[in-house]
Amino acid sequence: MKANPRDVNTGIYYMDGDVAAGYGALAAGCRFIGGYPITPSTEAAETFARIAPKAGAVFIQMEDELGSIASIMGASWAGVKTMTITSGPGYSLMMEAIGLGAMIEAPFVILNIQRGGPSTGVPTKTGQADMMQARWGSHGDYEVIAICPDSPQELFDFTIKAFNLAEKYRCPVMIMADECIGHMSEKVVIPPAEEIEIEPRRFYEGPKEKYLPFKADKDLVPKMVKAGDGYNLYITGLVHDERGYPVKNQMEKGKRQKLPTRRLVDKIRLNADKIIELAEEGLDDAEVVVVSYGISYRVAIRGIEIARKKGIKVGHLRLITVWPFPDKKISELASKVKAFVIPEINYGQIVFEVERCSHGQVNVVLVPHGGGGVHNPDDIAEAIEYAATEKKKIRKVVEWKTRLEKFVFEGGYKLNK
Amino acid sequence: MNPIITAFANGIKKSGVELSDVVVVSDIPFEPEIVKELGVDFFHVTRGRAIAFGTGLKLGNPDLKVVAFIGDLMTLGGNHLVHSGRRNMEMLVICVNNFIYKEIAGIPAPSVSPGFSAFSTFEKPFNAPHLANSCGAIYTARWTAMHTNELTNSIANALNKHGFSVIEVLLPGPNFYKDINQINSELLDFYYKNSITKNREDTRNVEITPEEKIVTGEFTDKEKPPFIDTYNAQLSKILGDKFIPHGGQSGRD
Repeated sequence: MKANPRDVNTGIYYMDGDVAAGYGALAAGCRFIGGYPITPSTEAAETFARIAPKAGAVFIQMEDELGSIASIMGASWAGVKTMTITSGPGYSLMMEAIGLGAMIEAPFVILNIQRGGPSTGVPTKTGQADMMQARWGSHGDYEVIAICPDSPQELFDFTIKAFNLAEKYRCPVMIMADECIGHMSEKVVIPPAEEIEIEPRRFYEGPKEKYLPFKADKDLVPKMVKAGDGYNLYITGLVHDERGYPVKNQMEKGKRQKLPTRRLVDKIRLNADKIIELAEEGLDDAEVVVVSYGISYRVAIRGIEIARKKGIKVGHLRLITVWPFPDKKISELASKVKAFVIPEINYGQIVFEVERCSHGQVNVVLVPHGGGGVHNPDDIAEAIEYAATEKKKIRKVVEWKTRLEKFVFEGGYKLNK
Repeated sequence: MNPIITAFANGIKKSGVELSDVVVVSDIPFEPEIVKELGVDFFHVTRGRAIAFGTGLKLGNPDLKVVAFIGDLMTLGGNHLVHSGRRNMEMLVICVNNFIYKEIAGIPAPSVSPGFSAFSTFEKPFNAPHLANSCGAIYTARWTAMHTNELTNSIANALNKHGFSVIEVLLPGPNFYKDINQINSELLDFYYKNSITKNREDTRNVEITPEEKIVTGEFTDKEKPPFIDTYNAQLSKILGDKFIPHGGQSGRD
């Protein structure tokens, strides 16, 4: 299906990433955003609130993030595409409801413009430290999809992509951008509506009395209906069967039941190959592979350039989809290359996933950054050089001492024993 | 819980609202199995978030009649209650007050009056109708679960109101709670006999205290434009012809 021309503000713009995301949401067919303002994501909500009424969409400023996310799930079941926009502290508040969203299989999108540091952190500066929270933030077993844009143009494109993924797999989809991209102004091309591919909601079309809200199709994703259409829905956050009715015990007496939560996990894990999107460059003869995502990807490009001038064979793997994690690809590379280098604006999150998937075959070097800025490309280049020359197999993640770390900590803490 | 659901079912019938338009949202304490048989859509969400979830349902499809059955109304859901009242979000909230966290061994709730509590509480309780009224609700009422007829009428009235309506229903807690308070007669009976109906009473005077009789009745009943109408009015003033109205009483896009 193509986008509705009414929703698409076609043109070539010079805009920042947040604004691009607001335009992207409307172009994707979003009809409802419940949000609460938080730096550095506010401009995205502002943009949507400004352009939405002209396209019949609604923005409501809720009382808090708890309300925002609950309201978008309600609107999602009412039959419209929905999204919320936030940053770290608000994202933490939303965790409770992400589990509910996965459980009631409401398709929705969360745009997280990450800031630096824990708690209130650095509201106006960048960070990439919510990556694990995106995956494990809510309690219980569930799977999410998270994608990482690297430019304002991609914030537009990936917002549409996120909506399409949400409709396709009926799970929470997160756009894990960061302040740097959100507040970076670049050229953004909004194509005409007929060039934008939109995944429509898959509604159930069949006899009313035969509808089971959680009976999955072959791709493990059930079809949806709208609340208020007379289907006598019973939708609960309790563990439920195909009818939606709570099951107190996953293995009911006498008969083997399909485990209800199993499918929530499987629908993403078994479809992972279809979901995962990667970008690679120079991997064929690479000795060292830099694995990066988001803004760190763009910084790493320069780091690789410097390293290549020194004659090191470096490849670049960009994680466009971070969750589900591309286990296969990393394992495959681990058997071919010498080392991985992972620059990320945190003290180690995705690096441990890479370490897990490399099964101890290669050295894994983390180039950390505490947030508030991006890496110095020279640090990444030096880390690559180290990874290429290190002969010893080190069976744990090596943390590269960057200039900033050396400057701030003067070689690290000395702990009393 | 069943007398309330019965009154709710009769209330829908009496109000003339289309059954399939009614969507019930409840939070953790209320997961009434009987709702399956009612023929309405039912959503059971995380505790305290029923009003917020209902807000989304209403804005996603303005034709729906959203009813929120809530237990954690004044604690976890407090902020949502306050702001939905302020916005006049079109929704009926049925606050089922049993003075207690029933499932969690009788810990007093913020609606418990000192004399009524399981373990003597000393905190001042909320006066639910007054709280809702001062937040801007256009309809508030209080009944006990024994006032089935009055409750039915009240629900029917509220379903036909366009705005934020709150009905507080007093329901007995579990038995051990009764024992601790040495109320030997059946609690349901106790509530009923200890109540006095005063319609149109000022909500300031309807606080529940052990010394005085429980005041029941329809307290607030006024008209105010609901959220979607004010939203449409405001934006069409700013945007003029470019604005596409969002449902509400003026019809749906």
